[in-house]
Order: sequence, then structure tokens, then C-alpha cells
Amino acid sequence: MNEPGATGRQPAVLSREALLAESFVVLADTLVDDYDVVDLLDRLVHACVDLLGIAEAGLMLVDQRGGLQLMASTSEAAHLMELFQVQSVEGGPCVEASRSGATVSVEDVAADSRWPRFSRAASAVGFSSTHAVPMRLRSETIGALNLFNREGPALSAADQRIARALADVATIGILQQRSLHRTSLLAEQLQSALSTRVVIEQAKGVLAEHGALGMDQAFSRLRDFARRRNLKLGAVAEAVVRRDVSPDEVLATYS
Amino acid sequence: MDREPSQLPGPRIETLLVGCVASTGVNGAGMSLTSRAGSPEAVYGSDDVAGAVERLQVTLGEGPCIDSVTSGLPVLVDDLEGVRSAVADRWPVFALEARRLGVRALFAFPLRIGAISLGAVDLHRLAPGPLAADELSSALSVMDAVAESLLDVRTGYSGHDGGPTLSTPAIHQAAGRIMVQLGCSIEDALVRLRAAAFAEGVPIHALADAVVAGERRFQEDDR
Repeated sequence: MNEPGATGRQPAVLSREALLAESFVVLADTLVDDYDVVDLLDRLVHACVDLLGIAEAGLMLVDQRGGLQLMASTSEAAHLMELFQVQSVEGGPCVEASRSGATVSVEDVAADSRWPRFSRAASAVGFSSTHAVPMRLRSETIGALNLFNREGPALSAADQRIARALADVATIGILQQRSLHRTSLLAEQLQSALSTRVVIEQAKGVLAEHGALGMDQAFSRLRDFARRRNLKLGAVAEAVVRRDVSPDEVLATYS
Repeated sequence: MDREPSQLPGPRIETLLVGCVASTGVNGAGMSLTSRAGSPEAVYGSDDVAGAVERLQVTLGEGPCIDSVTSGLPVLVDDLEGVRSAVADRWPVFALEARRLGVRALFAFPLRIGAISLGAVDLHRLAPGPLAADELSSALSVMDAVAESLLDVRTGYSGHDGGPTLSTPAIHQAAGRIMVQLGCSIEDALVRLRAAAFAEGVPIHALADAVVAGERRFQEDDR
């Protein structure tokens, strides 16, 4: 561990505490007035992977139509997408955590029999354990954060608390008071997030086709462009799809 | 693909909206659609009040429906009188006129598929009060179906089995790719994707996967 304040210099590698503090600051910073929910959730899943040393993370929000939709994930790899797809259809830890509002742990994926299709798919790609942390504020559960570990022991209680704390920051952000009525607020926030996700998928298609990229790359470039210009991810995606900004301009960020 | 003004595009949509009135326990439903020029037109009301609510908003250029089209978000007003000042500030003339029609609660839902903005549906109640969670859920599901049906009208076929096609990311990614391949709008790209799936008798998500993977491309002369 680094000794904070022992020297006046920034340590080359941040301690976990420093990383944790930084993650909270980044998430809190994202929550200024007119933030983009999808961008917030994208930061959240990446913070989980960085802080907890897990393999992948994804996050699903309730769609208010009786289902869950994947809103953010650390990778677009088909095997990870499938794990969320399977859960939407046949249940799984993320769905269960959203429903119950409690953390769901699968300490040994291969030996778990609660969700056979999910377990098969997860072990097939080498995940050994998984945890689903609800996005809950008081009585309202709006989704769940799903953490996947490839090897070693399942997440410690301390790590689960960190995940929970990060999820709470995002949940409070999404549910923060912005309108007079609670139901209308929640519907606006969730539907806005879901709609933004669709625009982002459309924009990814445009960028992928234009730049001969994979969907993963198309997303990173869109996100990086938005962040560098300090623009909302959803607004940039919409501008791309409406041809208000040229794909070349977005893709040029990297060259 | 132009819509006829002031005419409901298809009986399936009326069935959906009438069903929505029943399942959400509201008194009526109205719909306004965005013309190609971008301005909303009132096209449907399940009764006189619902029709008047649409026409009022379109004429005045203000109201929950107009805000919903602009923002792409649901605008749920539990009580047009309860938060008098807030509502009056947002829609001063409309709030007054709607109350005169006896409308106390108004719930506007966008008909939107990502960047594709088709219009909005208003559900109204003569009594104040919020939509319950299951009523909201029912309304949102109907709006998805209405948006899909509006695309079907443009595609020129009807009576497909629906299904959760719009919640599949690959379909939207594919539409983005097709938009570039054809140099068309995202709306036309999605219409073309759906039409091709129908014409070829393949599930739309399978065709979308092929487009995303680059195994299938669309060209101008495809039909």
C-alpha cells in the first residue's frame, strides 16, 4: 500500500483506496445537471472492473414493461451479450437481484443449478463466479449490476460492499429529484436511458459501417469523442444518426 | 411513404389504442404524428375529448404531447390543477383549455425508436391521479407496438406477429449500417430492414445479425 501524503508526489500506481476515491469523484462529477445516464453507467461498469479486479461487468435496468435491458457492459463480446440475453429470457442473477432488491451471489457457477442455461453459458466462457448487485434506493429497485470473475475465489464481502456503494451512487443519480412527481421522474429517467441506448446502437451501426469497425470499437470512439468534447453521449449519437455531425469527425479523434 | 394528414394509418393501430384505453383505465387516447416536415399533426382521438386534446396541442404548439415529441420522453401529468403553477407555466393556454374539456390527468408518450421520431400518444383521465406501475407498463408496451405498426404502414405490409423486435440491439446497429449503405435516413433504413425480413421470410433479428456481421449488405436496387 502506498502511504498517502508520505511524499508530495503522485504515486505511479494508485492504491486501491485512492482508486476507489477517484471512482466516486468521477461518478459524482458525472452527476452534474444534465448528465448522460448511459455514460454514467458505462463509467460504473468500468470502475467495477478496475477496482475489484474482476473480468467483466454489465448493468441492466428495468424497462418498465416487465423486462430488463442491458445498458452498459465492459465488453461487447458476443459471449457476454449472450449471458444477458439468456437472463432476459430464462432468468438469472441479474434478473433475480432486480426483482428481490438483494445481492445474488453465485460462488461456483459450474455447480449452481438455479439457472441452468445461464450457468452453462457462463462456465462455457470461463466465468467461475458471478454477483448481481441491485440498483436500489429505498423501496425502488431499478436494475442490477452483474459482476463476473474468471478465476480465483468469489468476491469478498468487502468487495461486494464496494460494488454496492458504487451502484448506490449511480442509482441515486438516476433517481435524483428533478421533477415534482416520483413516478413521472422514474419513468422519464428510465425511458430516457433506454431511448439513449437505442440511439447509441444506431450510431454504432453508422460508425461501424463508415469506418469498417467492430461494434466495440465504434462505441469506444463515440464515447471518447463525447468525453473529449464534453458532450453528452446520447446527444452525439443522435447527431451522428441525424447526420448533424460527420462520422469522419467522430472517428478522427483516434487518428 | 407520405402519410395522409388527419387520417389514422391503419386499423391495427386503432385496435392497439382502444385496447390501451381499457388496459390503463384511462378515459381516452389520442395520437399526433410528426409529418416529414417535422410538425405534429393530430390524427386520432378515441372520443371527442381525446380528439380535441390532440387538436388543441397541435394548434397551440404547446402541451405534454408536443413536449413529448420534442424531448422523446414520457410527460406524465397526474393533475392538471394540482400543480397549478408548474403546469400553467409550462403550457399556460393548453392547461386552461384542457381543464375546460374536463381533462384532469394527461399522460403523453413518445413514439420513438432511437433517433426516429414518429409522434406521440396522449392518454387522458377525467379524474386526477397517477398511472399505476402496471398501467404504465401496459402503456409503454402499447407504444412500442404502435411505433412498430407505424413502420409497418410505411413498409406496406401488415399483420406480422410483432414480438420484441425493437429491444434487440443488433436491429438498431443494422439499421445504422444500412443507413450508410443506402445513404438514406435511419427511419428508411429500419423500414428497409423490416421489409427485407418480411419479403425473405426470415426473422428480423437473424437478418440484423447478418447485416451487423457484414455478411449481408443492402444496395439501392434491392427490393
